[in-house]
Amino acid sequence: MQPASKQAREKLKAAMVRLAGGDRDALEEVYRATSAKLFGICYRILGDEKEAEDALQDVYLTLWRRADRYDADRASPISWLATFARNRAIDRLRTGKVRRGAVPEDEAAPIADETPLADTMMIDAEREARVHTCLETLDETPRGAIRTAFFEGRTYAELAERMDVPLGTMKSWIRRGLAKLKTCMEAGE
Amino acid sequence: MTSDETLAAEYALGLLEGEDLLAARAREVRDPAFAEEVARWQERLAPLADAIHPRMPREEVWQRIEAELASDDGSADVVSLRRSLRRWQWAGGLSAAAAVALAFLALPQLTGPGEPAPDIATAPGSDAPLLAANMPIEGTPLSLDFTYLPEKDSLLVGAVGLTADGVHDHEIWFVPEEGDLVSLGIVTPGKVVAHTVPEDVARALENGSQLVLTREPLGGKPEGVDAGPVVAEARFTTI
Repeated sequence: MQPASKQAREKLKAAMVRLAGGDRDALEEVYRATSAKLFGICYRILGDEKEAEDALQDVYLTLWRRADRYDADRASPISWLATFARNRAIDRLRTGKVRRGAVPEDEAAPIADETPLADTMMIDAEREARVHTCLETLDETPRGAIRTAFFEGRTYAELAERMDVPLGTMKSWIRRGLAKLKTCMEAGE
Repeated sequence: MTSDETLAAEYALGLLEGEDLLAARAREVRDPAFAEEVARWQERLAPLADAIHPRMPREEVWQRIEAELASDDGSADVVSLRRSLRRWQWAGGLSAAAAVALAFLALPQLTGPGEPAPDIATAPGSDAPLLAANMPIEGTPLSLDFTYLPEKDSLLVGAVGLTADGVHDHEIWFVPEEGDLVSLGIVTPGKVVAHTVPEDVARALENGSQLVLTREPLGGKPEGVDAGPVVAEARFTTI
């Protein structure tokens, strides 16, 4: 994995702080540095170019209007932004405004490799991506379900339907998987 | 894991929907321990997103964002005011030590470039207090934010995150002690907009005053027809 340079991360962090202070140029700087990453996330969740564009616009406008939520002491800015974008995209799915499109198989394929992208400048080196290792310790079924939930924003009900199992079964698979994931991750925290 | 930890994980992963989702959102707002657990799960899961391929958005998206910013009504005022408010709301839920640290961190924001931000905590020139209300929209994770600025007889209506459905508008009503409801205008989805408040409403607004939201045809309640169903309500509190 090629990590983000410390310099790039600090620069982004500084821009986030300026943004919180109402500096509009800082918003553009944050946008230029992160929009491809966040657009990739929105597109992956929503499966539609147009919906993903709307979501992206919403992400940065909300960021501008509520920038003070970011806590520079706590999270790396890119992790925080990625989580923020994913949550906003999933909100759009849940409020029923968006009908999910299908992400073409070939575009979805790299996800199945579970390989973090080597060329992403913004990947955070200091953050130990233990979740990758820990997911590997799960059985295939809960691992697949958790991954699908993360990358496609699927609900319990959708996952149960897709795998053709009762809702209760899906819930207990995933809950056991999450408990195991937590134990594994805490061993490294 | 405890049931709370499980719920936090499920919520962070995005598995919930419907009432379960709403309940978890409400918990996140009200219960700091739960919110912390959710944040921890989000941090644990965040590295998974490294595997998602970046994708360049069209340049038009940034242009749209810029256009939105430009059309924000008195944006600098509104934004800095909203930030001041939010800091105040935060501080209310924090220990004194945390609040002091927060005030310190917030300092650069109050003295940012451009026009000085209004120091709303000690808004001079008016005895009338600022009033704020938050109106959750049932069936969605969203809410409307209302802030009444007595000096400007103006009600800021924040509907960020909301989108129009193309067939309805939502109308805001003040509920007086007696008499008919008074319309305060139609919600503009996705924006923060200042609404002018009629003088008699301005005089009557106080801590506890009620607002309701009705669903109407596009353009708002037609003349001579009853208002549509009430879909949400909120009460002002003094801040």
